[in-house]
Amino acid sequence: MKRRDFIRLVAGAMAFPVIARAQEARKIYRIFWISTGSEPDPFLDGFRDGLRSLGYVEGKNVVLEKHYGNPSALRQVISQLRRGDVDLAVSSGPATRAMATVKDIPVLFALSGDPVALGVVKSLAQPGTNFTGSTFLSLELAGKRVELLKDICPRIRRLAVLSNTDHPGEPSEWRATQQTCAGLDIVPTYVPFSGAGELDNALEVAGDSDADAMLVFPDVVTMVDRAKLAEFALAHRLPSMFGWSEYCEAGGLLSYGANQRATYRWLANYADRILRGEDPAVLPVIRPEKFELVINLKTARLLGVELDTSSILFRANKVIS
Amino acid sequence: MPEFVAQSSLTARGDAKRPRRSLFFKYFATLFVAAVVPLILGAVIEASFGYRDQRRHISEVLQSEARGAAGRIEAFTDEISDQLGWVVQFPWAQGDDDRHRVDALRLLQQVPAIVSVSLLDETGTERVFVSRLRLNRTGRGIDLSADPAVIGARANKVWYGPVQYQHESEPYMRIAVTGNLPAAGIAIAEVNLKLIWDVIAAIRIGQTGYAMIVDDSGQLIAHPDISLVLRGRTGSIDFGRIKYLVGTTSRGAVITGDKGNPVVALSVHAADIGWTVIAMQPIVEAFAPIRAALWRSSLLIALGVLIAIALAYWRAHRMSGPIKQLEEGVERIGTGHFDHRIGISSRDELEQLAIRFNEMASELAISQQKTVRIDRLKQFLAPQVAELVEHSAELLEAQRREVVVVFGDLRGFTAFSARAEPDAIMAVLREYYAAVGAVTTRYEATLIRFAGDGVMLLVNAPVACDKPANHAVQLAIDLQVAVQSIAGKWCAAGHAIGFGVGIAMGTATVGTVGYEGRLDYTALGNVVNLASRLCGLAKDAQILTDRVVAEKVKDAVPLVSIGKHVIKGYDQPLEMFAVAQGNLPLTRPDSGLRRLEIETL
Repeated sequence: MKRRDFIRLVAGAMAFPVIARAQEARKIYRIFWISTGSEPDPFLDGFRDGLRSLGYVEGKNVVLEKHYGNPSALRQVISQLRRGDVDLAVSSGPATRAMATVKDIPVLFALSGDPVALGVVKSLAQPGTNFTGSTFLSLELAGKRVELLKDICPRIRRLAVLSNTDHPGEPSEWRATQQTCAGLDIVPTYVPFSGAGELDNALEVAGDSDADAMLVFPDVVTMVDRAKLAEFALAHRLPSMFGWSEYCEAGGLLSYGANQRATYRWLANYADRILRGEDPAVLPVIRPEKFELVINLKTARLLGVELDTSSILFRANKVIS
Repeated sequence: MPEFVAQSSLTARGDAKRPRRSLFFKYFATLFVAAVVPLILGAVIEASFGYRDQRRHISEVLQSEARGAAGRIEAFTDEISDQLGWVVQFPWAQGDDDRHRVDALRLLQQVPAIVSVSLLDETGTERVFVSRLRLNRTGRGIDLSADPAVIGARANKVWYGPVQYQHESEPYMRIAVTGNLPAAGIAIAEVNLKLIWDVIAAIRIGQTGYAMIVDDSGQLIAHPDISLVLRGRTGSIDFGRIKYLVGTTSRGAVITGDKGNPVVALSVHAADIGWTVIAMQPIVEAFAPIRAALWRSSLLIALGVLIAIALAYWRAHRMSGPIKQLEEGVERIGTGHFDHRIGISSRDELEQLAIRFNEMASELAISQQKTVRIDRLKQFLAPQVAELVEHSAELLEAQRREVVVVFGDLRGFTAFSARAEPDAIMAVLREYYAAVGAVTTRYEATLIRFAGDGVMLLVNAPVACDKPANHAVQLAIDLQVAVQSIAGKWCAAGHAIGFGVGIAMGTATVGTVGYEGRLDYTALGNVVNLASRLCGLAKDAQILTDRVVAEKVKDAVPLVSIGKHVIKGYDQPLEMFAVAQGNLPLTRPDSGLRRLEIETL
């Protein structure tokens, strides 16, 4: 036995373990939830799930203040936000862009785009700011989605691309899509819109185009109206590709991307750590490592898509029938 | 608090120098050594043995956990290389790319950790590439024959690449496998190492222990806190240092862990992939049983100290009370209160001591009373008699013995007292008694009594002496000298006073006579009467003796016979002797004249 060890032992043994957690739990944390979507909000549900599994009880030790609206309305809310009003802000999609001006409140984000490009973090490994969170790699997956769509329907030539221009990282996502389309001999038709208000208009434009397939960028606005989008695709007999499984559940043909609910659930971990005093500046931005390919067999049948010859079925993580 | 009262009373007596409380501290030290030291020793021994056992136990737990983790990680990579082995079973043939592509896609489906797979033909040229993120490629592509993965796989069949961080954050590694046939080519998989997080996160050592994986360069590959891994090379924690400190010992090391707290850590090396699994448990938890034991021991020790203090106080208090009593008692006895008694009933040596003190006090009291009595007696009795009264009363009992009786009497005193003032009479008597007393004491003769101007002395009773006759004659001579010298002074003052002495020797009855409250020592018999008669016949400055005395002293003192005289009480005239004048150093020039005067009185 080394003497040094023994001294350490005695020192360690005499120190009472500090029970700080129980005292902290007495405090009621206020979390600012800010989104351009609207309720019911599957992302919020995922986040709440995560908080619950960490022992938080809404109304008892945590309060969620929810703010929904378009970016300009959110900016209004955010401009009135003062330090000390809330302990943490959680934002998703375009709301994160609105939050970018906030410097003294820790902000958790869930972005499909690149947070470094958006300027809220310095690097993924070391954000170095009051922002941290998760990025869904939408940009990287943009090309993959076109490829998968082409795999299932090799005959497609013209692709309508619905994109919410409010969404941060949207131009690069569109660029990546264009590049892939060029490689796969597909002509993309860009159907941009700004916010939920312009969606119907955009669908009209897409319907008028002679596209034989549809790609919808994942985004809070399209997420809210996913059923409408799926219906539209089916009505126009367009094989459709989305970003998240929820779209498929609502009737979309295909989706490829990270599990949103799991990501938001996971975001609650960071929320817990920040509430307990950790600095967001040193919490790395998380990227999902699992991507799910989801296919809706019912929609495929309705569209008459031949699945037997493609490799898509064994590649699918989830098949909705 | 009687102890403190005692102390303050001591201080009041100016005796504060003595450390009164030392008794308490001595008892305390003894009891402390007897009770607390064994406890402390026991605690230390228990702690050190407990530490050793616990250390061994923890090492075993950590070792098995780390081994298990290393095993699962090797299983993780083995599974990937095994699966890769499936896609390099068949040689490349013309138009075969699509079959290989499906194989690769199925592989992706099979192994979630694989992000992309490249299939190369035997020349090292990429033929199929499938990825979860990037676009798939089929057909003859880039030449990778110089890629370390290809070279490594060709050399060892299986090649594990170094850990790299994508976007400087996510850990990736490449694994390359060659088929059994060189024609089957090579499969290279890109593996996202975040997926081994599941393996590491599932490890719980105790409540708070965990495991982590670092590669040979000290880079963190897996940790229950994934954010530490995702910090890539920018992380602030030096896991290389931890790996170095843990070393390869199978006993585990106590180091400062990645959370800055002391931990017991142990590492196991997974040789295949060159990674190290470090299992650790915070010391706070690891040695909680020892801490509990130490607290128990501390409580016992504290209890022991309290008991030692209480016992020491109690014992010291029990001791200090009697000691105080003894001290006060001795002090009282010392100041002469011999009637004081010390009342201690502690049924031990102290009580014995108190009894001895009490006995001593009573002895002292008796002795004291005796001394006082003798002193008093001496004022009334001859000192010899007084002593005898106390010490050998039997000598005073009536008995017949040979004694020498000396009578002295002033001449002319009756006339003097008739005309002189009482003060002058008392002054003469005082001087006379003082002179007689001084000589009597010097010769240790027994002063029987003063009667006015007369005095009776006894030699050889009650205390015997050598040659009593000589002694008595010498005494008489000194008596004459002493009285004559003051008589000269009296004559000068106009008082014609002289002094005559008669000595007789013979058998007399001596002893104490009297009644309760008053005792006298006296001698009865003819010899007393004879001495008295001789004294009456003696002239101023003359010493008359009977024949017995004369016979006894004739060799030492010349005596002159002055013929036979009829003495009252005797039928026959008795021969008397006088001490020759030459032996009386009478210096008074007018003695002859004065003698005449006195004779005529």
